[in-house]
Amino acid sequence: MLAPADIQDSPDLARMRRDRYARAQAQLAAHDLDGLLLVGESNVEYVTGARVLTADAGRAAMFRTVAYVARDDPFPHVFAAYPDGLPPELPADHIHPAVYPEFGARPVAEIIRGERAIGLDEYTAAMRRELHGSGLVDFVDATPIMVAARICKTVDELRCIRMAQHINEQAMLDVQAALRPGVRQTDLSGLFLRRIFELGATGNAVDPIWQVMPARMADGPWTIHGDVAFPTATTDAILRDGDVVWVDTGITFNGYASDFGRTWLVSAPPGPPRPTGVQRDQFARWRAVVEAVLDRVKPGSTGGDLTRAARSVLPADARTPWLGHFYLVHGVGADSAEMPLVGTDLGPAFDESIVLAPGMVLVLEPVIWDDGASGYRSEEIVAVTEGGWVPLSDHPYWPFGS
Amino acid sequence: MIGSSLGVAALEEASRVDFARLRSSRHSRCLAAMEEAGLDVLILGRPGNVHWVSGARSLWTAGVRAFGPGAVVVRSTGSIHLLSVWDEGVPASIGREGLYGLSWNPLTLASSVAAIPGVADAATVGGDAMSPLFASLLTAVAPRARLVDGAGPMWAARRTKSADEVACLRIACAITEAGLEAMVSALRPGVRERELVGVFDERIASLGVTTPALEGICCVVGADGQMRQVPGDRILAAGDVIVLSPGALYAGYEGGLGRTWIVGEDGRGGDGWSRGRGSGGGGSGGGGNTGLSDLYRRWRVAFDRLLGTCRPEETGANLVGAWTSTGERLPSIPLIHGVGVGVEPPVVGLARLGEDAVLEAGMVLAVQGLVSEPGMGAVFGKETVLVGGIGGDQAEVLTRFGWGPLASKS
Repeated sequence: MLAPADIQDSPDLARMRRDRYARAQAQLAAHDLDGLLLVGESNVEYVTGARVLTADAGRAAMFRTVAYVARDDPFPHVFAAYPDGLPPELPADHIHPAVYPEFGARPVAEIIRGERAIGLDEYTAAMRRELHGSGLVDFVDATPIMVAARICKTVDELRCIRMAQHINEQAMLDVQAALRPGVRQTDLSGLFLRRIFELGATGNAVDPIWQVMPARMADGPWTIHGDVAFPTATTDAILRDGDVVWVDTGITFNGYASDFGRTWLVSAPPGPPRPTGVQRDQFARWRAVVEAVLDRVKPGSTGGDLTRAARSVLPADARTPWLGHFYLVHGVGADSAEMPLVGTDLGPAFDESIVLAPGMVLVLEPVIWDDGASGYRSEEIVAVTEGGWVPLSDHPYWPFGS
Repeated sequence: MIGSSLGVAALEEASRVDFARLRSSRHSRCLAAMEEAGLDVLILGRPGNVHWVSGARSLWTAGVRAFGPGAVVVRSTGSIHLLSVWDEGVPASIGREGLYGLSWNPLTLASSVAAIPGVADAATVGGDAMSPLFASLLTAVAPRARLVDGAGPMWAARRTKSADEVACLRIACAITEAGLEAMVSALRPGVRERELVGVFDERIASLGVTTPALEGICCVVGADGQMRQVPGDRILAAGDVIVLSPGALYAGYEGGLGRTWIVGEDGRGGDGWSRGRGSGGGGSGGGGNTGLSDLYRRWRVAFDRLLGTCRPEETGANLVGAWTSTGERLPSIPLIHGVGVGVEPPVVGLARLGEDAVLEAGMVLAVQGLVSEPGMGAVFGKETVLVGGIGGDQAEVLTRFGWGPLASKS
């Protein structure tokens, strides 16, 4: 039975790589495939453990690491964009020069020649031309296969997520201390990004969000669905006394993502910020939703159980306590948002089809919004265990109640 | 470029960059490329393409995410449609009418795309990337459409840069240089490689930019002379030879440069160099002053030859020949790659990669070179270069930063 203490230890990265690879192989057997050709960045990271330079989408798409997992092969084949990022146990005959999917993938086609049925997660036009020439016409979509492999995390993966979250949280202590009228959103980003690397982050995953929330939706950006706009991109906007700031950041640690969310208040010296009665009540309702949801987090519960629990602590006519374009709960792992997704526009039937199992990692992000009085949003992360759940996040709600 | 144009704050009397003109120009070039390629519709998933076509300001995320239709362009109406829940960051030329919302249901997304006027009846639809799932859904909602390559036409459209684009690239270069200066100043024994990434991010954030092109190569050269690219936990020691190569995005445009520096006792590398650290000193690939300065001289000769060949109508094979004609072997990293709203083709390097690429005036390239010797060390350098920037023929180097300790002795 997983206890909180188990997650505090350092991850055994070599064991993690072996365990993940075994899961990929198990999926290959279950689907009776000859292999998996993986181009998707987080899928490649999952099966190989290869580290890459953190870069914007353009560079990452050009200089890609590609993986091919052959059934029953003890190691993956890796076409490495960054040879120095490869794990030490990879044998030399499984390490290949980089391919450029933007231009083609002939070396990959050579390796899969003659195979019967292969899973593929994404492709470029150039790849498609060359792989077609390898004799394979159709590929099985590898995405659901990889979701099945990745959705339940091993203890080492949980440790990586916990470490990523811890680094993120520790950095936020310094950033919140710097929050005051006159500071720019970009100043907070600069401080945050400097601190995460000092604390041991592998990379940053998303441009940090420090969004000033208006009192009324009408004073914020227009939205297609009439719900709150969040998160909008950071600029050099200047923060002011009384601003309600919704914070949302994500970093990576050894291939795993954090997801930090809090609501902060800006106050002029000498401070500290004092939430109003309405704001304290919003926080209390948010806490009630989180507690009701956590009460249902255990193996066998469905996504529908979670959404019903969230609504149960609020009046029947209350606004849905999460963002319309997002979710009540999402998974986190090698991606900052992954399965399971609960409360999305995939609808209630999809929510019912999600059954919680030990090892799933859930990010709870309810939102309380009172149009005219802004709102409260924070995030908590837990891992599902045999008996319930353990927390992966641990950060004060200050200046709101404990 | 006039001095006052090189900055990020707003000016009263004129824009530093006329973004409306820039967007309009890119829109026209996109439509022209679609016409040339016979595309009725373009479905774009790559963030660089979505940004280039729309000019919309969106959330930066690291790496490549799973495919989703970020933007759609319809040739017959000329309209651009964007996946966005809100209109924040969306240019008025697209407006609210041009938006379709985020959905977690791939069929809903495909249907949103098919509902755009001109899509369901399109004969030829270009995609710049694809997933097996989305391709099949698209066939279901737009059965008449033949799905073809849209990446090639987009690369062609983005290939040569307008004056407004070059202005953005210059600003991106200046911002990147500021970040590099911070990294160089932070070099001292005891610092970890990855902390230099944070130093870079902090400095560019102080200039109002938080979008890195890459979080930066900041890696000590080992005794084997190999250049690593992924920063790690290695702790810097005095005398270490370190490669620094970061990049920043300004309005989506990528500035980048690379230098090789020496870790001094107190930063800047100057003391470490002039104190004469002796052969094999410093625990890294610095086989004495003489060895490293020799490598730098060799690098300079080869790089200048390469730079001199960055001219209109030169081929990738010619660029490789220019480098190797100096006697240097071709490094494992590419000699050149295109830059614009991020990394672009061509990419020229080992194994005849990009040998048939042909340079054109108006292209902007990242030009990089690496000279390494086992037991001695390595020298890496990179500049951002405008082909035909001087007199229409010679390349103009857009980046500007000294070589510190390596240059002082050469």
